[in-house]
Order: sequence, then C-alpha cells, then structure tokens
Amino acid sequence: MIEADAGSRGRTGLWTVVALGCALFAASIGVRAIAPARATLPKDRVEERPHIAEPMQLLSRGAQLRAAELDRWVSEPQRPGFRAARQTVFALSACPPLVEWIDGAEGQPVERLIASLRAGSREDALASLTLVFRIARACEWAPGIVARRADHAERLGGLLQDWLRVWGEKSAKDPLLADPALAAAVLYGRAMRTAFKAPLLSNNRAPHERAVAFLGELTGISSGRRTDFGEALRARYARAAEKLAGGSDPLIGLEEEAASLFPDLDGSCP
Amino acid sequence: MTERARPSSWHVAIAGLLVGAGGVLLGLQVDADGRFSGTGLTTLGIGALLALVASFAQVRASGLPRDAIGAFALVAAFLGFAFVVAGALAPGGPWMFFEVFLLFAFVASRRRTSDSGGRGIGGATLVALGLMLLFRLWVSYQGSEHRWQVLSLGIPVLSWLPFEFLDPIKRVSLGSFTPLELGFPPAGLSFAVSMTMWAVGFCLAAGGIALAQSGAIEHENDRIHDLIQTLPPTLARLVERLLPEDEWQALGLHGLSERRLMKRIEALASARLQRQREIQSMFQASATPALPPAGGFAGEIWQALSKASAEGSGR
Repeated sequence: MIEADAGSRGRTGLWTVVALGCALFAASIGVRAIAPARATLPKDRVEERPHIAEPMQLLSRGAQLRAAELDRWVSEPQRPGFRAARQTVFALSACPPLVEWIDGAEGQPVERLIASLRAGSREDALASLTLVFRIARACEWAPGIVARRADHAERLGGLLQDWLRVWGEKSAKDPLLADPALAAAVLYGRAMRTAFKAPLLSNNRAPHERAVAFLGELTGISSGRRTDFGEALRARYARAAEKLAGGSDPLIGLEEEAASLFPDLDGSCP
Repeated sequence: MTERARPSSWHVAIAGLLVGAGGVLLGLQVDADGRFSGTGLTTLGIGALLALVASFAQVRASGLPRDAIGAFALVAAFLGFAFVVAGALAPGGPWMFFEVFLLFAFVASRRRTSDSGGRGIGGATLVALGLMLLFRLWVSYQGSEHRWQVLSLGIPVLSWLPFEFLDPIKRVSLGSFTPLELGFPPAGLSFAVSMTMWAVGFCLAAGGIALAQSGAIEHENDRIHDLIQTLPPTLARLVERLLPEDEWQALGLHGLSERRLMKRIEALASARLQRQREIQSMFQASATPALPPAGGFAGEIWQALSKASAEGSGR
C-alpha cells in the first residue's frame, strides 16, 4: 500500500516536471518575441516636480541669458552668495589670466561658493558648474605663445575634477545633470590636455597622468567594471571613451569632442 | 499496484527542464538600461531547420517514440538543438548565413561518418556549436564596445609612425558588421549580463540535449527489458544472454511496436542460437587427431578455445 502511494506520488511528480518543461519550452519561444524598449536618455524622463529646462543652455555661450533663472533654484542659504558671484563672473570682460583672477579679491569668494554649492543639492551643483563654465569662458587659460604656462589649465581642470568627483557618478542617470556632467568631463579632458601640451619642447606629464587616472576611476575603465558614468560617456562619446580606454593619447578623444561641442572654450577668450 | 516512475523517465523530464531553461536564457538579452528584450525569431527558424534534419537522422536510427516520455525526449532534443543553434549563430547579416553554410556542411559530413553513436546530435556537433557561440560572443563584445568589425589589424611600418594624420590608414578592418545585423537593442547591449546568460543558457541546453538522448535510449531499453521479462525467468535470461542490452539499439530494436518487437526478438534469438550451435559443432569437428602442436600462435588459440568450451560446459 505504502509502495503504491510512493509510486503514485513519483508518477505525479514526473508529470509535473514534464508539464513544467513544456511551459518552459513555450516561454523560451515567447521571450524571443519581446520587443526591445526604445533608448531613453536621462533627460528624456519627465520630472513630476518643477525643473530646470534645457540645463545645457546654462553651460553654453548664451548662459548669461538664463543665469539669473538659477537664483530661485539655488538653496536658500546659498542664494545671496550665488547672486553676487553670478553677477561678478558674468560681468567679467577683460579676459584675465585664470589663476591670477581666481586667487584675487574677486575670484576667492567665487571659488569658495563653487565649493559650497558643490556640496549642496543637484540644482546647487548645476549652479556651481555654470559658474565654472563661465570662468572658463571669461578667463584666459591657454598656455600662451611665449609664456607656455600650464597652471591656468590645471586650475580649471582642478575645479572640474572636484565637481566630477562629487557629482560624476550620481549624475549619470539624473535628468538634470546627465548632460552637464558629460560636458564637464569633456571640458576637463581638454583642459588637462592643454596643460599636458603647454611646454614648448616637451610635455607636462603630471596633469595628464592625473587626469587619466581620475577619468579611469570615474568611468570604471581602470577597474575593468564600467560605472554608470562610464556607460553614459561611452554611449554619448564613443570615440572619446574608446581612446580613454586604450589609446596612446587617452585624452585626445575628449579634446576633439570639446572642440566640437564648445568651440569657443579654448582658453583664449574669443 | 501503481508502477513507479523509472530513472530514465526522470532523466528525460529533467532534460526537458534544462532545455527549457537554457532556451529562455538564450532567447533574452539585456540592454544598457538593464531592460530585457528578445533575441529574435529569425535564428530560431534556422535552428529549427537544422534541428529537423538532426531529428530525422535520429528517427531513422532509433525509430519513432512509442510513448509520451519518448516523444517528450524527442521534442526536448529537437528544441534543445534549435535553441543551441539559434544561440550560437550571429543574429543576422552575411555572418549568419556564412555560419549556417558551415553548420550544414558540418552536419552533412558528420552524418556521412556517423560519429554520433546512434544519437542525432553528437559531441562533435556540440563542440562546433560551442566554437560558433564563442565567435558570436566575440562579435557581440566588439559591438558592445562600438567596434564594428571582427578584427582591426595594424599595417606594419605605417602603424609604427607617430603621425596623427596617418591614423585613417594605419589599420585595416576585417569582417565589418552593423548594430542591426547583431540585433542589438536601441539602447545598446549590456555585454557582461547578456554574455553570462547566453553562456549559461548554452550549457544548460547542451546538457539537456545530451541527457534527453541518453534518457531516451535508456527508456527504450527499459521497454524492451519489460517485454523480455514477460517470458518465463529462465527463458528471459537466455534471451538477454543471446541479445545483450548494449546491442539493442544497433540491432534495430528501438522504436518498434510491441508486436514487431516480439517478432524481431524471436528472429534474432533464433538466428543467434543457430549461429551458436554452428560454432559449437565447428569446434567439435575441429577436435581431430591433427591437433596443432603446443606453443606458437595456433597452439595458443586452441588452448584458449578449449578452456572457454570447458568453462561453458561447466556452467
């Protein structure tokens, strides 16, 4: 009797497994017909709450037309400081050398504010990056024909690197900051390559190697496990990402993209 | 009394699970945003075509299945082969047709040499498919890195020169393809996850095929054994001694209906017994005064046969 029960259970179990196998056969054919979802960039996602539209305009040549709009988005404690800094940097017109200006009376408070905004909300971070891009446009950071100084470009690279270290990975899937973060990386590559090429007869290897190490860590190339930011960079700027991963001149791809994206941002205040 | 499920039936059922799970994994890919999509039905169609050829070969060798478990084993092997081929082929374009051509040529050559030991899909075929899977993984990797060619070779001398303006002619691309040919999702392929799924799926489906085929053979042997066991015990032992189990498939007993199986066993047992008698009588007739001298090849043979005959008489 017990043996008969066990036999009956065994056959029921067998047919259950066979039925499960048939279901898997059907599923394995059905899943092949699943249509792929269309590609969506972070900026394609519509945010429910009020948001800053087209953030890349705030990094472009026409940023002064919209920069005042940021005043209401910056967090309350930073607002007066941001308004003052914004007015200062957007009023710059004499194209001062970047290091001299930023170490001067006008530049120091702006640099402090950039650091404070960087530690704030995502809107604060965008405001911070807007100031950095405006400084990059309004100050001279090209090495110069005779002086061949690398420190201006290195300083600009430093500002961008600090921003990317805090916001690079977080911004990869953020509708507001995804594009600005990639633009920051592209400009960072150009600034650091400018510093690399600054000496007339040789190359300045220290900023170049620092930049390659930092970008390798940020994109995950150095660890062999690509980060979200690395994926976003590869999807948007494939050649730059490929050069960064294995080229003999890792920053050249970023420089080429920067020249195409921001032709006016060459350090010479055109 | 309810009959218990045999281990061979369980083997076939588990093989179905393995093939099904492998098919699901081989049928999916993950895009850069982590979303699943299908790998398409085109390659499955080609896989099904090749699997049909393999199944025909199997049916010719082993006959049609005679019960539900046998039919399930055949379906599992058919689908498993279709999934494995679909998973190993490049998803589209000239590379896919080139691989299909190679595979047809390979399957045809294996059928001529019939290396698969009575199975429709042999180990050599699975190894060839494994190599094709490696090629597919390679081109998928290249595509996921936005490199749209199988290989990029540096031209000697030119590629050593440190002049950027020579970049366009420093390297030559071999075997170019497009994202459309690879069937990539619009957001791009997440290579690591997709590769893992395909590799695991391939192993599961290939393991399922092997298990389904061995399970089907064992299941048929069980059916024949059951029939022989309906004879009186001494007669059943004699028949199983005359017709050893490992020869049943080669003797064409697999896939026969019960009535034809009885006739075939009867004919084979009779023929083998007749042959046994003929050998015995020939041996006895050869025991003439003209015995070969001890030692040497003839003497050794004679001693071995005498010993075997004495042992047989003793039993």
